[in-house]
Amino acid sequence: MTENTALVHCVGITKYFGGVQALDNFSIDLHPGEIVALVGDNGAGKSTFVKILSGIYPPDDGEIWIGDEQVENLNPGRARTLGIETVYQHLSLADNLGAAANVMLGQEPLRFRIGPLRVIDEKQALAEAQRRIGEVGASLDDYAIPVRTLSGGQRQAVAIARALVKANRLIMFDEPTAALGVRQTKAALDLIQRVAGQGVAVIIISHNLDDVFAVADRVVALRQGQTTLDSPLAGTDREEIVACMMGLSFQR
Amino acid sequence: MADSIPKARLTNLFQGSGRNIGLALALLLALLILAIFSPRYFSFANFVVVALQMSFIGILALGTAMLIISGNVDLSIGAMYGLTAVVAAMLAKIVPSPLALLAGILFAGTLGLLNGAMVWRVKLSPIIITLGSLTALRGVILLTTNGAAVRGVPEPFTILGQARPFDVPMPVWLLFGLAFIIHFVLSKTTFGRYFYAIGGNREASEAAGIRVRNLVLGAFAINGLIVGLSAVLAASRYGTASPSFGVGFEFDVITAVILGGVRFTGGEGNILGVMLAVALLGVINSGLVSLGVNPFWTEVVKGVALIVAVGLDQITHEQRQRRRTQLAMQERSRGEPGTPAGSHI
Repeated sequence: MTENTALVHCVGITKYFGGVQALDNFSIDLHPGEIVALVGDNGAGKSTFVKILSGIYPPDDGEIWIGDEQVENLNPGRARTLGIETVYQHLSLADNLGAAANVMLGQEPLRFRIGPLRVIDEKQALAEAQRRIGEVGASLDDYAIPVRTLSGGQRQAVAIARALVKANRLIMFDEPTAALGVRQTKAALDLIQRVAGQGVAVIIISHNLDDVFAVADRVVALRQGQTTLDSPLAGTDREEIVACMMGLSFQR
Repeated sequence: MADSIPKARLTNLFQGSGRNIGLALALLLALLILAIFSPRYFSFANFVVVALQMSFIGILALGTAMLIISGNVDLSIGAMYGLTAVVAAMLAKIVPSPLALLAGILFAGTLGLLNGAMVWRVKLSPIIITLGSLTALRGVILLTTNGAAVRGVPEPFTILGQARPFDVPMPVWLLFGLAFIIHFVLSKTTFGRYFYAIGGNREASEAAGIRVRNLVLGAFAINGLIVGLSAVLAASRYGTASPSFGVGFEFDVITAVILGGVRFTGGEGNILGVMLAVALLGVINSGLVSLGVNPFWTEVVKGVALIVAVGLDQITHEQRQRRRTQLAMQERSRGEPGTPAGSHI
């Protein structure tokens, strides 16, 4: 596999939940800077795949290669150290903390230590958080106010900025625009494109084909755990994607 | 908008401190009433007495505030306090007094850690687990003492609690010293930041790589050590330890902590608020006596104060929520990401 240029390379991923086969011999390659849209009906296996790659579920069969290394026993911590992050639909922010504290959570810059006590350098944390939120194209009036008081779009920006801190390989978005209005959706999609522009592989899961056509480079359709389509966006169209999602026969 | 640092600071200042301003005003009002109707109340000696009365509860409140901010609670603090006082006093009769005091503190720290371990292992509400500890420890106190107070501790054992550097009793000094330390830890260090984060969203904290389990166990253990300090101070101060030490303290302590603006579900609150609430409760306690009011009214007043404070909190919270929903709707129809919805609230 050493000559494979994919950042992440999955072969034959299979996952059962009891008698239900959620993923059936699913394979996918993810390349730097490429946005892959994962589409499919409810229960097609999209979220299962995201959870396997983020280390939450172990696959029952199949191989996950990250760079040149085959990864066994992936867990959330391991996935994170490997540079894989997920932004979930219900954003994983601490609502009681400010934007700066959320973005820097777990990696606060320090002023000094007193024994086990590490004193946070708030100035540097704020500057760093502003820079990172700026990188995803947003700016806030107040980085200290609890993020629960921010708008949906602003919260999305904070969540993505926080995921980007560690994601140097792959970032996965689970329904990134589900909670957003029209303009916010556009902003979120711009943001996702900017993220890919930094050379990170991106997966977006979306029910919204408009989103897919707006940002994706490649579309992978899943139906009942199997790949029914894996094509560059330019090589397919809306009818084919829908047909593959629904399992209808399709003649071009 | 990137250079809005001063404004960010300012908003932060007023965010959590609405409660503190309210508490300070209530405290001033109480003192004003006392100044008019009971001028004798105002003497250094009297304030020292009030502070001493509140110091044991106050020290306990510091540990409980930290624990509740991290999304946990330990209801067994009163029983831990009683058992620790008894154990330290008994030990003082066998081993050198400093050792007995230290052993008492470590003993309580171990009890706290044990509670934390049970809360962690048994995924139930910490309220239920530590309610069990409360009952069990009360039983252990009675078994250990046979229901009788421990008397006849050696004189050196009483030095710590009865010392009065600069005419102020040691428990009061320790209350303020510890308040400063806990305030520092909660507001300036990563430990504090993580306690708030865990109390706000445990999953998000775990996802951020924070070692939630260790921190929660640590919070319980530190709370135990703080309970231990308060307990040995009391045993040392009074030169005895009665099995009834600390009965009902959990209610007084949690009242002070919640009145002080700590959110019971975790993630919010600060030590200044807790200290103001402790002071307010102390002034209510002593002030009603000083005004000649039937002391039975004290509990009524404290209870009502708690309900009023929490009620006001909830109502303003709901109003803010409505305002926010309104703004979100407007934003959605206009659809402008990056609009400072938060700054209008």
